[in-house]
Amino acid sequence: MKVVTGVVGNDVHVVANRLIDISLNQRGFEVFNLGVNTYLEEFIDAAIETDADVVLISSLNGEAEGWSRDLPLLKSRYDLKEIVFVIGGNLAVGEVSSEVIVPKFQAYGFDLVFHQVDLNEGLDQLENYLQERV
Amino acid sequence: MGLLQREREAILANEYVDHFDFLEVESFIKNASKDLFISHRFNTSDKILVQPRGGFPTYEKVFRLYEEFKEAGVDILPLTIDSNTRLNDYATAQKMLRLSEENDVDMLNGYPLINHGYRTTRKMMTHFNTPVSLRHGTPDARLLVEIALASGIFEIEGGPITYLLPYSKNFPLDKAFIYWKYVEKVCAKYSTLNEPINRESFGPLSATLQPPAIVIVIQILEMLLAMEEGVKSFSVSFSQSGSMLQDIVTSNIIKKLSRHYADLFGFEDAAIHLVYHQWMGAFPRDKEHSESLITTSTVIAALVGADKIITKTRDEAYGIPTKESNASAVSKVQYTLGILRALPKIGDEEEEENLEREVREIMEAVLNERADTLWRKVFNAIKKGYIEIPFSPHIINNNKVITVRDKEGNIRIYDKGDLPLSDKSFAFERSKLTLPEGKNLVSQMIKDIGIML
Repeated sequence: MKVVTGVVGNDVHVVANRLIDISLNQRGFEVFNLGVNTYLEEFIDAAIETDADVVLISSLNGEAEGWSRDLPLLKSRYDLKEIVFVIGGNLAVGEVSSEVIVPKFQAYGFDLVFHQVDLNEGLDQLENYLQERV
Repeated sequence: MGLLQREREAILANEYVDHFDFLEVESFIKNASKDLFISHRFNTSDKILVQPRGGFPTYEKVFRLYEEFKEAGVDILPLTIDSNTRLNDYATAQKMLRLSEENDVDMLNGYPLINHGYRTTRKMMTHFNTPVSLRHGTPDARLLVEIALASGIFEIEGGPITYLLPYSKNFPLDKAFIYWKYVEKVCAKYSTLNEPINRESFGPLSATLQPPAIVIVIQILEMLLAMEEGVKSFSVSFSQSGSMLQDIVTSNIIKKLSRHYADLFGFEDAAIHLVYHQWMGAFPRDKEHSESLITTSTVIAALVGADKIITKTRDEAYGIPTKESNASAVSKVQYTLGILRALPKIGDEEEEENLEREVREIMEAVLNERADTLWRKVFNAIKKGYIEIPFSPHIINNNKVITVRDKEGNIRIYDKGDLPLSDKSFAFERSKLTLPEGKNLVSQMIKDIGIML
C-alpha cells in the first residue's frame, strides 16, 4: 500500500512527521513523505503521481482547518474516490473536543479524523479501516 | 579591488543599511577594547564562561536585559536575532520594530540588528564592554554578520550545515556553503587587526536523539571550513544528551579529534574551545523540575571541562523568559559552578574507542569524496547520506538513520541508513540495544524524546 504523508500548511513540526514516516514503514507501507510545510495541492499532486492508496495529512499547530477547506473542491476536480484521506494531530487552536472537530473534518472529505489521538492507535485504526474496505 | 571587497560592497549597499563606512569600521575593530573579544576572555579566564540566551525587539529592552544579566554575574552576553531578519526580510522586521516601539509590546522574537544599525548598536556594546555572542539561525548571514562585527559583536554562531539542516526545508545547501564562506572570510580579515573573532558552531542540531558521532563530524567539518578561510578561534559545541556517560565520552572525543583534524589540515595555530548547551529538548513544565534539570546540566558542563556553558531558564517550557527569570538562571549557574571543586577526570575506554572509530570512519568517507574543495566534499556527503541529521526538516536530508536510547539512556544507532560505519562500529551500537520492533520502536522513541518530562 502506498501512503503520501506530510504536515499541512506553515507547520514545521518535523519530529511527529518523522515518527509517522518510521511507523508507516515499520507497518509495511510504501511511504512518500512530503515533510513539513506542505500545501494541500502538493498532497494531491503527489497522490496522483504515485498512485497512492492513502493520503495521511498531519497538523500540529492547530491551523489545519483553514488548509482543509479546499479538499472537496480538489476531490471534485480529480478522480480521487479510491484514495483514503486521513488527517490527524492537533486539529484546533485551544481546547476543542473531538465531538465538535471530527464531524467538521469529515464534512471536508476526510475518511478518518484523529484529534489528539495516540499515533499507534490512529495507525491501528487506519489498518483496520483498510482491511474492512477490501 | 579584490573579489571579496566587491561582494562586500554589493551586500552592504542594501537599502536598509545607512552608508557602511568600511574604513571607520576597520579602525573601530582595530582599536576596540580587548574586553569585547571572547577569544581574549577564553585565554585569560580559568572558569567556565556563562552565557544565557536572549534578545528583544527594542534597544531599550535589550539594554535593560543586559543590565539585569550584568548584575547576575554574566560572563558573555547574547544577542538573539528575530526570525524575519534570519530570513533576510528586513521590511517586515522594520514594521514590527516600529509597532514594538510605539506600543510597548514585543512584536519580534529577537533584535532586528540590520534595522537598528551598527552605529546605534555599537553604543550598547561599548557601554557594557563585555563579549557578545550573535545567535541567529540564518542561512544567508552575510549582511547580518557585517553589521554585527561593525557593532562590536565579536563572536558569531552558526555554520552552513548547523544553521540550515535543523531550520529550513528548502533553502539550497550549496548556497549556504558559499554564503558562509563569505562570513568566514570577513571574520578572518578582521581577526588580523586585534584579538581574533571567534566563530562557534551549533552542535545541538535538531536537539532530538542526535547520535554523538554525527554531532562531532559536523562540528569538525564546520571548524575546518572556517579555518580554511583564516578563522583563528573556533568553538565546537554539543548539547546535553540525556546520558551523563555519553556527554563525557563525547567531550573527550570532540576535544581530541577536533585538535587532530585541525592540525592535520595545517591549522596548528588556531585555538579550539568547547561549548556545552544545557538541555535543548522538551523541558518539564514543573518549575522545580526545570530548575533541577538546569543544575544537573551545570554539573555535567563542569565535568566535561567545557569552556563555556549556554543556559536555559526555569520558564523554558512556557516560551521566551522574562529578563528577571533569565538573570536568575545565570546567577544560579554561576553559584553551582563556584561550588564544584576538585572535579575528577572521567572517561570510558570502550565507549571512547568506539566513538572515535565512528567519527574517523565518517570523516574518511567525506574526505575521500571526489571533489575539488572541502565544501563540495561535504555537500556530496550530505547528498549521499554519509551525514544526516535525525529529525531535520530539510529536503536534502537522507532521513534513513533511526536512533533510540538503550536501557541506560544512551543514544544508539538502530538503523544506520547510509552512514559509512564499519560492521564493527554498527555491531557495537546494536549490541547495546534490546531491540524493540514494529510499533514498539516508535513508542520507545517517543519516550526517549520526552526523557526530561
